[in-house]
Amino acid sequence: MAVTASMQGTTMAQRTNVEWLTALGDGDDAALADLRTYVLRAALFTLQRARHHVGHLGTSALGQLAEDCAQESLAAILQRLGTFRGESQFTTWAYTFAVNMALLAARRERWASVSLDHILDGSETPSSTSGGHDATLDPERRALQAEAVAAIRDAIEHHLTARQKQLLRAVVFEQVPLDEVVRHWGSNRNALYKLLHDARRKLKSHLHARGFDVEEILDLFGARA
Amino acid sequence: MSVSKFERLLRLASRTQEQELSCTECFDVLPQYVDLEVAGAAPERELPLFRQHLEQCAVCREEYETVRELARLEAEGRSPSIDDLRRSL
Repeated sequence: MAVTASMQGTTMAQRTNVEWLTALGDGDDAALADLRTYVLRAALFTLQRARHHVGHLGTSALGQLAEDCAQESLAAILQRLGTFRGESQFTTWAYTFAVNMALLAARRERWASVSLDHILDGSETPSSTSGGHDATLDPERRALQAEAVAAIRDAIEHHLTARQKQLLRAVVFEQVPLDEVVRHWGSNRNALYKLLHDARRKLKSHLHARGFDVEEILDLFGARA
Repeated sequence: MSVSKFERLLRLASRTQEQELSCTECFDVLPQYVDLEVAGAAPERELPLFRQHLEQCAVCREEYETVRELARLEAEGRSPSIDDLRRSL
């Protein structure tokens, strides 16, 4: 612990992973203060970068949000100190918590006034493509496109569960952050990611069974993945 | 439905794998991946499922991009100060 780094005009000790763990495990005040500075910086940086989520908030509200996120991340880091495996720098590991908390808060702010029920209960399914209305296309290609669109609609309407359809509509079509649906449904990110994963697999497999390869469909519409 | 929504769905479906990382697994691997990347290594070779998860999950991708930027600035000795960040909010 010899080299020093300057942050916020103060001098902070540069610690190895072992030094961080030992100091924090011992309740060392200087290490706690330094860690708090790291996570506050990460929270402020994240909110500054996430203007598309929090552009409507004023400087004071954003500053307070960053402080709250820093405090929450600090508590989470200290609680999970025993799970740090040393596969990264301790500070990068700590940043991950602060960034996660700050983005959760930023997305919550962005979507607070949006009715997710309205989005989740919509009924929109794919019906058109980049080439779908092109009258210059040869009839065979147009027929293939129509067949592909029908297969996709059929997969969504008849092979996905109601929950999968809602999630697909919100997260893939309307780009609602997964966290917001998690919050709305009182679920967790892993469970909803799995639900989407299963929906994608079903879609892919259904299209395959109908003789379509997803890459080929994208090609068909001039949108190669 | 707009063209972009249709294509977005197909692109996600085309990159779907039988086995994918969960968001928690992605969170756990993220700092290691970022450190390797910032150090100039090629972590996508060692941790291909991490990159695949990011293609599918916008929230994890946003977190990864932010942590990577922070770590990169730190490695270059250009970390923003708290005062500067507060002023720029």
